[in-house]
Amino acid sequence: MALAHVEVARARAGDLEALERVYLAFQDPVYHLGRRICGSEEDAEDVLQETFLEVCRSIGKYRGEGSLWGWVRQVAVSKALMLLRRERARGSGAARLDGLSPDSLGVTPLEPTGPIDLEVALGRLSPVTRAVLWLHDVEGYTHEEIGELMGKTASFSKSQLSRAHKRLRDWLS
Amino acid sequence: MKVREQHLVMEELLALRDGEGPRSARSHLEGCETCREQLERLYRVRAELRALPGFVPPRSLWPRVVQELSRRRGRRRLSYRLLGLAAAAVLAAVVVLRGPAVRDSSTGARDVWVAESASQDLGPIITRSQELESLLQVYRPEYRVYDAPTALAVSALEDRIVLIDRMLVESRRVGLERELLMGLWGERVDALEALVGLQVIQGPQRIWR
Repeated sequence: MALAHVEVARARAGDLEALERVYLAFQDPVYHLGRRICGSEEDAEDVLQETFLEVCRSIGKYRGEGSLWGWVRQVAVSKALMLLRRERARGSGAARLDGLSPDSLGVTPLEPTGPIDLEVALGRLSPVTRAVLWLHDVEGYTHEEIGELMGKTASFSKSQLSRAHKRLRDWLS
Repeated sequence: MKVREQHLVMEELLALRDGEGPRSARSHLEGCETCREQLERLYRVRAELRALPGFVPPRSLWPRVVQELSRRRGRRRLSYRLLGLAAAAVLAAVVVLRGPAVRDSSTGARDVWVAESASQDLGPIITRSQELESLLQVYRPEYRVYDAPTALAVSALEDRIVLIDRMLVESRRVGLERELLMGLWGERVDALEALVGLQVIQGPQRIWR
């Protein structure tokens, strides 16, 4: 995913060809991140599009401190979480969303009859719980960073991660 | 130290996995096979999460991104294709009619400004271009020192502006279509705005930190 300094400089200057090379370098990891956090193909495409719209508009703000991927990823995470918030506000898929999930409503969710694989188990987690799990365990964000990104506290992040692993333990064993 | 008897809860196990957790939890772990198994399971799940196959986008969304970018910026910016057309038209004319490119592009560009700035469609965008130029003059960016990536970006922007200026000067000779001409001015304003962003807005932080 490495891009030459000159290429990055051209992208920062607004050169569309250089921006396209930035897109090509990072489209896969951004889409993957969007798909893992938001769940659906459609949402992942939205994350990809919104991320690169932002990258094209704001790449001048990237100061070369840290990797370009680190900066792009930060934009992507922010867009994915924004999408989750928007869907939550809109009430779309409300039953799956954290805060309105069976857990919080005191309803026992339908449990799988036998062990399921990790991919299926991830899909069964509420979006917020899944986002915390992914950001912490795979992307390496700290609880403080996740809390800040979500407008919550580090404790919220810890509690969501704990909930995620309890569920995975129950479903995978 | 007294070793606690009850098993560790999930948050404690996760803290231990992440290299944190209180000493009492570590001590308990040493003597508790059940908790060690739970911790081992957490390591395994994390490794499996990281090893999940990657999703790849079913198609390139770049054309959609460019289209949306143009739409959100309005008609001010030239599309990729239109800019290419403008460049091709202008450069062809330079080669056929004149030979070498204009020597003093900035002087030529100023002549174009005077001629075009009175027009209704080009006037506002040329005025914006002049405002940005004035802003850059006020901040005298030539006295600033930048880090290498910023210096490269500034240099690329300046090259881009010189190229656009040459195309603007030659566009009159060629009789470039109005839409392409507006696109060139739009490109010039975009490049100047980016330059202002780098030299005026970010500049002071670079100098003083």
